[in-house]
Amino acid sequence: MKRLGLLYLAAQNLRRKPFRSFVTIAIVALAAGTLFSATLLIGSVDRSLEVGMERLGADLLVVPEGYQESGQAALITGAPTSFYMDGSILDQVKAVPGVAQASPQLFIESMVSSQCCTGHVQLVGYDPSSDFVVTPWLKDNLQRTLGKDEVVIGSLILANKGEKVHFYGHDFDVAGVLDATGMGVDESVFMSLDTAYLMAQESAQVAESALDVKPGQISSVLVKMADDTNVDQLTQRIKTNVPGTTVITANELSRSVTDRISGFKRGFIAVDAIVWIMSLLTIAAIFSMIVNERQREIGLLRAMGASRHFIFRLMLTEAIFLTAAGGIAGIFVGGAALFIFKAIITSSLGIPYLWPPILTFVKLMAVTMLLAIVSGAVASLYPALSSSRLEPYAAIRQGE
Amino acid sequence: MQLSGRANEAMSNDSIIVLKDISKTYKVGPSTVKAVEKVALEIPRGQMVSIVGHSGSGKTTLLSLMGGLTKPSDGRVIIDDINIWTLSDKEMSVLRNEKIGFSFQFASLFPTLNAIDNVRLPATFGDKKETDHDRAIELLNLVGLEDRIYSYPGQLSGGEQRRVALARTLMNKPRLILADEPTGDLDEDTEADILDIFQKINSEGVTIVIVTHSRAVASQAQRMLRMHRGLLSEEEE
Repeated sequence: MKRLGLLYLAAQNLRRKPFRSFVTIAIVALAAGTLFSATLLIGSVDRSLEVGMERLGADLLVVPEGYQESGQAALITGAPTSFYMDGSILDQVKAVPGVAQASPQLFIESMVSSQCCTGHVQLVGYDPSSDFVVTPWLKDNLQRTLGKDEVVIGSLILANKGEKVHFYGHDFDVAGVLDATGMGVDESVFMSLDTAYLMAQESAQVAESALDVKPGQISSVLVKMADDTNVDQLTQRIKTNVPGTTVITANELSRSVTDRISGFKRGFIAVDAIVWIMSLLTIAAIFSMIVNERQREIGLLRAMGASRHFIFRLMLTEAIFLTAAGGIAGIFVGGAALFIFKAIITSSLGIPYLWPPILTFVKLMAVTMLLAIVSGAVASLYPALSSSRLEPYAAIRQGE
Repeated sequence: MQLSGRANEAMSNDSIIVLKDISKTYKVGPSTVKAVEKVALEIPRGQMVSIVGHSGSGKTTLLSLMGGLTKPSDGRVIIDDINIWTLSDKEMSVLRNEKIGFSFQFASLFPTLNAIDNVRLPATFGDKKETDHDRAIELLNLVGLEDRIYSYPGQLSGGEQRRVALARTLMNKPRLILADEPTGDLDEDTEADILDIFQKINSEGVTIVIVTHSRAVASQAQRMLRMHRGLLSEEEE
């Protein structure tokens, strides 16, 4: 035997006008879904920046003049790029006061051709003796340096540890897979500088297309600052002391991403505020309508012994049912939409992306649900109060 | 005999309901309408009383005043020795739930609840939830709808809906039933069935006040009152 109670009656009342209930749920779902997916997107970008910058470990990146944008794109989204400068730049950078550590990297863009390469990715040659990006990871995870024909790969490269990848006529063993960062590292393949030079040198004989990389050339210098150094002053000193180069700071990288999503953030805040206000007004209007339509029933319930408090709670419960359902639908649809369109969004905005930890995900779901439920309660407060204050006789007569 | 304006100050312990000079006025635009005017009435326990009168004479308003569904502009309503308008909303709700059964002019069933759940509804607000299912079945048997227990209002005829509503009125074993046109719009057979049920429960000591247009229905009562322009008078035999 089912128990007749507040929750059952509220659910039954909502069944009565399924289309109206559906519309209310859809409006709340739109508001909750927009909030959930946009907050998730922004949070994921922030997390990716945090993890990615930590992995990069550098305060500054010195690249050839004119390659600031492609350097940033390679770091943020992993867009493959190739640019070179003379290896002597490394010593010039090291000589600048305030530079604590400097390590060169060589960028080689792989070819789309499957005969040449395992995917169109960024190949990065690093110097094992000075590197602070891959070497610490190797130390922790492999307890050794990379061999001549070995690489470590980013989390988005389609290969597993122990498998082989193929670039410019060379087969490489995958020694390890780096943790996801959401940034360019995920789509990069790391090998030692010597291996990279050898691959370039032999490409003329073994690859379908020869690489134009001369021994000693580098693409960038990663710099760690000394503790008491000001980033702006060091940037200026490098620009002055090392002509033909430009400097990308870690802050600039973050700012570049922040700038790209700032328009999106502003748009999202405006759209979501409008949708929430719309949904609040709609719920208030719908519940005022419900109270008017059900005056007689409210009067009857009061005649049967329902207290004002019961009527108030009944109306509030109906509103909360609808908004909670809207919240769940919004989270589901918003999350699914972000999952499906993530690649399009990140590539069109040029932003990094890393799903948040499960706890953050759960917290965000809880906050969205709470907001949806509180909105329902607030929007239906006045109609619920009005209904509870109806005099039973007047309610029954007005409903006739 | 005209009762309006004559307050029965002494209250008998045998009276279930006493109205002391109650009036009800409404504001309609700039003018004031006196729906009930200084009515004094005492109804002994177990009595069946009918109230007749023309439309707009104040019968339904009087019935609502008796049941605490509307507050009098003046005077007191005493049920079981309790001046009901001194009660809190919660206490008043308990009183309505436990002591009074209302039967309205319309079937008043909840469309999303089946017959048995409609009957069980008053128990939701009281403390007899454990036995409500058996009691509801017993009442649906009483009104002859034992085979329509799980039917929804939309699947029932007008007469059947009124019988379900009557079963709901009796759900919490009220000691006072206030019925407003309980047989209005019903065919003769259904009307006779419902009156039989009223007679049966009245014979068990339940007080019944019926507001009706029908002379035939009114004549079933032991006492007949007439309402005219807000004034109540005793109808001569």
